Amino acid sequence: MIRFGMLQFRIQAITAAVTLAAFAVLLAATGPHLASLYAADGLDSCHGSSCLSMATYFSGSLTQGPYGVLFLLSTGIILLAPAVIGLFWGAPLIAREMETGTADLAWNQSVTRTRWLAVKLAIGGLTAMALTEALCLMQTWWAAPISQAVADGAGSGVAQSRFSQLNFASHGITPLGYAAFAFALGVAAGALIRRTVPAMAVTLAIFAALQVAVPLWVRPNLAPPDRTVIPVTSLGAAIPSETGAGGTIFTFYAVTIPGQPGAWLLSSGPVNAAGQPVSTTPAACIPVEGTSPSPGTNQAASPQGATTGPVAFRGCLASHGIREAITYQPASRYWRFQLTETAIYLALALALAGYCFRRLRRLS
Amino acid sequence: MNTVIQASGLGKAYRRTWALRDCTLAIPEGHVVGLVGPNGAGKTTLLGLATGMLTPTRGTITVLGERPAAGSAQLARVGFVAQDTAVYARLTVADHLRLGAWLNPGWDDNLARQRIRRLALDPKQRAGSLSGGERAQLALTLAMAKRPKVLILDEPVASLDPLARREFLQGLMEAVAEQRLSIVLSSHLVADLERVCDYLVVLVASKVRVAGEVSDLLASHYRLSGPRRDPDSLPAGQEVITESHTDKQSSLLVRTDGPVLDPAWAVKPVSMEDLVLAYMSRAGDDAPARRQHLGVVS
Repeated sequence: MIRFGMLQFRIQAITAAVTLAAFAVLLAATGPHLASLYAADGLDSCHGSSCLSMATYFSGSLTQGPYGVLFLLSTGIILLAPAVIGLFWGAPLIAREMETGTADLAWNQSVTRTRWLAVKLAIGGLTAMALTEALCLMQTWWAAPISQAVADGAGSGVAQSRFSQLNFASHGITPLGYAAFAFALGVAAGALIRRTVPAMAVTLAIFAALQVAVPLWVRPNLAPPDRTVIPVTSLGAAIPSETGAGGTIFTFYAVTIPGQPGAWLLSSGPVNAAGQPVSTTPAACIPVEGTSPSPGTNQAASPQGATTGPVAFRGCLASHGIREAITYQPASRYWRFQLTETAIYLALALALAGYCFRRLRRLS
Repeated sequence: MNTVIQASGLGKAYRRTWALRDCTLAIPEGHVVGLVGPNGAGKTTLLGLATGMLTPTRGTITVLGERPAAGSAQLARVGFVAQDTAVYARLTVADHLRLGAWLNPGWDDNLARQRIRRLALDPKQRAGSLSGGERAQLALTLAMAKRPKVLILDEPVASLDPLARREFLQGLMEAVAEQRLSIVLSSHLVADLERVCDYLVVLVASKVRVAGEVSDLLASHYRLSGPRRDPDSLPAGQEVITESHTDKQSSLLVRTDGPVLDPAWAVKPVSMEDLVLAYMSRAGDDAPARRQHLGVVS
């Protein structure tokens, strides 16, 4: 049965090998140059705080150049691979046999359906996992300079945190879990619907929905988040907005958490001195028309206490006891999260495989 | 005597429609069994249940004394050629023989190769480009070379032209002679079965109407014609299968184990086709629309 399984799998195996080879050539041809850019920007010999500006420059220059495109492309391939496997390897596995009538041939040889399915699932599933994880490892090697720049503090463009959806789902061991799950999902959908194209549609819909739902609602809660309160003066990025009175106020966002490099920021919001969330700007900090400081003076508090610039506005908020409450997952939980999410997907894959066995025994 | 197929109270329903109902059968081993009935009568369902491709809704069925598809040993004893004789379109003829060898411990490679050679099939040809007849022959080769004890064929000749049909049945009969296996084949064409079967099962509107050895059936059925009379006045033991009357004449097809002694009757033997048609039209009340599907090709 194993030889027969391989015989039927040869087209998929060729596709996998070609994909892997093309991916390897692409990354091997460009990886050394990317690493040399990293070195040329002085990042491999920087110390302390100088690293941050170098890393930011490095990631900024990559984002605009071809490496930014290549990074997104290779990441996209890793993210799409499980879906493609589920659609084109998983969904037809049973459905196509039923559609073409070859199930009558396959299941009337001296091999039980259970064994037939076990072999087919093993060949397809293991290849799917190996292929996706191999793509992932190659890209991890290739993108090592970018990951290093992230570790050095860069946080824009291609340099995204390891917890960002793009990176979390394409690095580590999660791709392996996705591949196993998508494949099993395709097979199960095919066994249930018995027609290839609808099974493909269902597989795609469910897999895509999970890839949206899990990062949004499941992954942040894999462990209870940590909480902290930080002064508003350590917040970054200010977005200005006009008040009705003609003045300007600012909205601040937490970008990094002091003392928690690489942490995954889940939520942040202003609280008062008592720790209660606040939703309105203290009246004293709202600038009123005509209170603009005259040219030449620094943007400072007006006599009434209202402010105009982001720094002064932030200072005013701080003087009114307003701070920022933050929930986050520390960087140290990265592998725990990787393991947990992969385990969840593998468990789902096993459950779906179990369903396929049950379904096949009493099919039609 | 061992049975090829034994069914008791067997039924299969799809949602609320019964494809097969109350089927009770005991077909002894060593026969070429013809399963005949109009399209939609439940032939494919019965054979699907016998191969384990379907699971019964009610009742039980055993093939050679075992539950169908109960394990690899049982699968090895039963060969099956499905209605559309599907083969893997992208695999070559040789690939099919390889898969047969891999998947069947009892595989007879000589037999398979000889058949392929005799059929003049190119081993390198993809199965998808074979003609309907060649595909059927390839599927039959696979089923025969696994050396089953019983070979089940669902409408094997339905898609074949008359010449290919004859060749196919001839190949089948040679295999029976060589391998001493039991065969169950279904058809809606009586003429196909007449040449090869020695056991008959008539299935109409999801029910078995008559089953038995062809020689017994032919010996116990008669066509009676004579002056018009009421069929109820026949002696006990003479069961009327069909009747037709004109003003003066009555024509009956009866089943009886004893001789017909009434001198008023002109007694004629029946052919298998008469017999099958009689049982089908007797069931006509259940399935009036289906009678027209019965094809009779001589």
